[in-house]
Amino acid sequence: MNKVLAVILGLLATPALAAEGERIIVTGEIIDTWCYYSGVMGGPDSVVGSAHHTCALWCSASGIPIGLLAEDGTVYTILKLGPQDNATGGDTALTLASHTITADGMSYSRDGINYIVVEKVVEDMGIVNLTHEDYDVIPPFAIPEPKE
Amino acid sequence: MIRLAAAAFALFAAPLAAQDFSANSEAKTWNLYAEVPAKFDAKVVDVMCEITGDCPADCGAGDRQLGLLRSADNVLVMATKNNQPAFTGAVVDLLPYCNQDVTVDGLMINDEDFPINNVYLVQRIKAGDADWAKASQFTKVWATKNPDAKGKGPWFRRDPRINALIEKEGYLGLGLEIDKEFKEYLFE
Repeated sequence: MNKVLAVILGLLATPALAAEGERIIVTGEIIDTWCYYSGVMGGPDSVVGSAHHTCALWCSASGIPIGLLAEDGTVYTILKLGPQDNATGGDTALTLASHTITADGMSYSRDGINYIVVEKVVEDMGIVNLTHEDYDVIPPFAIPEPKE
Repeated sequence: MIRLAAAAFALFAAPLAAQDFSANSEAKTWNLYAEVPAKFDAKVVDVMCEITGDCPADCGAGDRQLGLLRSADNVLVMATKNNQPAFTGAVVDLLPYCNQDVTVDGLMINDEDFPINNVYLVQRIKAGDADWAKASQFTKVWATKNPDAKGKGPWFRRDPRINALIEKEGYLGLGLEIDKEFKEYLFE
């Protein structure tokens, strides 16, 4: 009985331990996860790329989690971006907002959320998702109207 | 033994089952398509620590994302947004409660088809016998950190880092020439 209890307690303790990671190299766009998931600004295709770049800057600067939207549609919540900078409102996160990058890092998954700890940005392709051609700018007030 | 095994199975199964945390929630709607009011007990945790085992004592002092380890089922909820309609995250609001047990009230977003799992907008926080605190501290903290950015308009129009990037790369991030042409089209 004691052995059974020990096994059960051991298994119950498992979620408190660190998840097992997998090293991946993945290419995708750095997105603002709140607008992407919540639909607050519109559908997911409209809150990525150049149309949403200014809003992505705002959200990143305030510490809203950024994500890496991979080419297969998987979103990885970025916990660290590069060896010296954090992913929560950090300068690197801000500079790379809306950029498509290739990242080398460790991926993890827990409770339905994918995470990535980016050790190195292998390539920065800049902003290549030209969504302003379809959506203008999201939200519409992101670019202030010129004063008369 | 069978009862013990059944109890263990039930405990494991709990995180997998959709649980309703809307009872007694006073969360205000944001009219988001998949929002559900959710009030629950949780521990405020450093997500990087929970995931990788890299655990500074101060939850990263604001440099790391914070999550809510829900007491009822040990699910790690991502605290993505605070309660201000101003493009503001939740780290500033949760950091004072690093590694503390709290009760939170807000909106949960789950959508199995998207998929979206355990994304949370925190509206208020309560620790122990203290009163509820509104999760609306970002702009106050930002103002303290940016005393030279005083002026009219919301914080995101005055933030020096944001403005420097827009000045350099434009609102679309594609360079000033493309920005100029786009603005001419947009405001013609």
